[in-house]
Amino acid sequence: MNDVLTMMLIVGLFISFAILGIFIWGAKGGQFDDTKKMMDGLLFDSQEDLNDAINREKKLKESMKPKEEKSKKE
Amino acid sequence: MSETIKCNHCHGTFAKEVMIKEDNLYFCCNGCQGVYHLLKEDGLDSFYDKLGNKSIEPPINCDKDTTKFDLASFEKRFVQTLDNGFKKVDLIIEGIHCAACVWLNEKILYDTAGVIEANINFTNNKAKIVWDDSLVKLSHIIEKIRSIGYNAYAYDAKIADEKATKAQRDYFIKMMVAVFATLNIMMLSVAKYTGFFTGIDEQTKHLIHIGEFILTTPVLFFSGWIFFKGAYFGLKNKIVNMDLLVSSGATSSYIYSLYVLFGGKGESYFDSVTMIITFVLVGKYLEVIGKKNAVDTLDKIKSQLPLEAVIIENKQKKVVALDEINVGDIVELRPGEKACVDGELQEDKATFDESSMSGESHYIYKNRGDKIFSGTINIDSLIHYKATTNFANSTLNSIVTLLEDSLSSKPQIEYTANQLSRKFSSTILILSFMTFLAWYFFGFKMGFINESANTFEQAFIVAISVIVIACPCALALATPIASLVGISLLASKGLLFKEAKFIETIAKATKVVVDKTGTLTHGELKVVHANIVDDNIHKLNLLYSLLESSTHPISVSVKNYLLEHYSHLEHKTLLDVKNIQAKGVVARYKNVENKEYTLLGGNEELLKEFNVSYTFNANNSVYLFAINENIVATFELEDEIKNDAKEFVSYIQNSGMQLIMLTGDNEKVAQKIATQLGITQFVCGIDPIQKAQYIKTLKSQGEIVVMAGDGVNDAVALSNSDVSIAMGNGADISISVSDVVLLNNSLKSLKEAFVISKRTYKFIKQNLGISLVYNVITIPLAMMGFVIPLVAALSMSLSSLLVVANSMRIKNEK
Repeated sequence: MNDVLTMMLIVGLFISFAILGIFIWGAKGGQFDDTKKMMDGLLFDSQEDLNDAINREKKLKESMKPKEEKSKKE
Repeated sequence: MSETIKCNHCHGTFAKEVMIKEDNLYFCCNGCQGVYHLLKEDGLDSFYDKLGNKSIEPPINCDKDTTKFDLASFEKRFVQTLDNGFKKVDLIIEGIHCAACVWLNEKILYDTAGVIEANINFTNNKAKIVWDDSLVKLSHIIEKIRSIGYNAYAYDAKIADEKATKAQRDYFIKMMVAVFATLNIMMLSVAKYTGFFTGIDEQTKHLIHIGEFILTTPVLFFSGWIFFKGAYFGLKNKIVNMDLLVSSGATSSYIYSLYVLFGGKGESYFDSVTMIITFVLVGKYLEVIGKKNAVDTLDKIKSQLPLEAVIIENKQKKVVALDEINVGDIVELRPGEKACVDGELQEDKATFDESSMSGESHYIYKNRGDKIFSGTINIDSLIHYKATTNFANSTLNSIVTLLEDSLSSKPQIEYTANQLSRKFSSTILILSFMTFLAWYFFGFKMGFINESANTFEQAFIVAISVIVIACPCALALATPIASLVGISLLASKGLLFKEAKFIETIAKATKVVVDKTGTLTHGELKVVHANIVDDNIHKLNLLYSLLESSTHPISVSVKNYLLEHYSHLEHKTLLDVKNIQAKGVVARYKNVENKEYTLLGGNEELLKEFNVSYTFNANNSVYLFAINENIVATFELEDEIKNDAKEFVSYIQNSGMQLIMLTGDNEKVAQKIATQLGITQFVCGIDPIQKAQYIKTLKSQGEIVVMAGDGVNDAVALSNSDVSIAMGNGADISISVSDVVLLNNSLKSLKEAFVISKRTYKFIKQNLGISLVYNVITIPLAMMGFVIPLVAALSMSLSSLLVVANSMRIKNEK
């Protein structure tokens, strides 16, 4: 029986530490800095809002490109 | 009453007839109308779905000129150039009330070409904006924000904000790791403790211990690191603090448990290690949040300081940075602007709102040569004044600096609090060490000690058991549990305590210092005596119309008085309405028969100027109304005393504390209020810095000072007192430096603060008594080696339960 317990303990701890790791990753990125905004996030997950989020990331990437090319030429 | 209707933009409710009607839409002002159409055109009208039933503030009307945001001096101070060539600025956005506001601002900024990142924090309204300077200018970005009815100010994040944000994040992660481990360990412990009674084989127990070990290690060395650091700095300054007790208790339990894990038999204490650290860490995290809030408020105040001033040099206007103003320069101030340096008035007349600095509830009329304080607001007209200080020495700047200092020095109190527990910590540590020496050198053989272990092991285990049995329950719970019950009870009465330790300080207070304006009184003028000579409705309508043409607080109060006492007041069209500086308002009225009347509304000086002879003896502000030289009505206005003020004063004076009233007002007003309330001691006519000085003097005489106040003028004094209580409707800054916030502003709640604190403190002392008795019994037993692990575990929970149950009684009695 102890073998089963050992397995459960290892798998359980592994999964929970993985989740804790993801949580810390999010916290370090500033996801939980703004508690009020976080709680209202639910209001802002319509299709339109999610598209906006993707477009913002694209915009950020694209705006980085010309600068990188410039610095490569130099 | 007439029908009220909601504004389609801001959702504020107003009477139907004053609204701007457009098809089936209604707006309360042009600003709302403009923003509504702008959002419709840009396809942003889903804002209203997100807003739901909440209402926001109507758009802020601000100065259209945004060129100052592109100036080199602004850029040097606030704008950062990032490695990738983009620019970054930190802003505080004014007017944000709900998540929909945040969404709207972010959306409109992201839709602007050239804006790379726009992240707005809802909690503190701070925004980080990154943009490409070759595509868009900052002035354009600010214009965008203003176009939808918000306003933005820049602040310097490097001074305090970045550090505070980082600290908050660090503590948050540390706390969550600890909470995570505690929850998991609790599950393992359930299995282990059930094993006590139902039987558990050594192997399974060992397995659970390994699991607990894996979970405890990060808690002790990652989350608990701050306690090691705190204990180290404490020792460096030769102070034995709570951090040392927590860290030595946790470490010794951890080492003992390690010993159990790798070899010895017995019970491990991994669960108590995580629990001690988690509980204390949650308390520390709340403290860090409090400090972060203070930084946010201070940034807000500083961002609203003027950035530059207009000075007159050789009859030319010149815009200069604040640091460049020299003593003797002539400074120009437009209506509504804040004075940035102190000076002397060069005009014949001016009106100033000094409420933020002196607490004076009335507008102050100034004559040529009068002193002007920085931070006060020019009300009426464009004025010039001669600077008598530079910015660094100005009143405003010295207040900001004092506040910054007090924020960083506040934790000092921690060293003076918890006297008893500190002595306890050192006693336990010494006892444990002596136990070790005694067992090791004399080789005792008694108690339930494992006979097979060598002398060192035996001595070590006994010494550790002394710390383990003493530490977690004895004091770590006695104070916090009682405080928690006390604090939640206080919160239900509208009293927000930022930290539990203030309960103790309030309970021990010897002097209670209160501000007058806004604390004992309502802080706004009210009509206390009205004498309406002729209550002909036509005449009252004229008075009402005249009052409506002025926004002066006296006019507003008198108008409110009229609205309360008379219905069917109508607005008449007046001609030639003229505001006469510091005196009142004059207008003409033509009736249907084309007969003309002159209307005068204001103080005695106004009447004198128009040759109406009338004398009025009053200590209060007065408003006189005359039609064609005949007095129609007179009003006396006074700052009204709050309902429960008398009860509060007598309670304080009867419970062995001394009450002192501080005020910036003159002696006449102060004396009057003092007599009405039965206050024996008051100090009047003092400025914010003298108030703080007064508190410091009291403290240096060994008094424990509790201060209650509301305005910016009290902020410095509040931050200097042992415990500061701020009114919930007071200035942001005074709330942020305060330890206790009175949400409903009622003096009855303020009295409760003292009553409940004293009660809670009594129970804290009882709890300490219980835990001391517990320790007096168990520690000697532990020192003699009679404490077997099972007994330790049971007695620990038993003593905690006793303390918890006792604390609950705080709520029950009375």
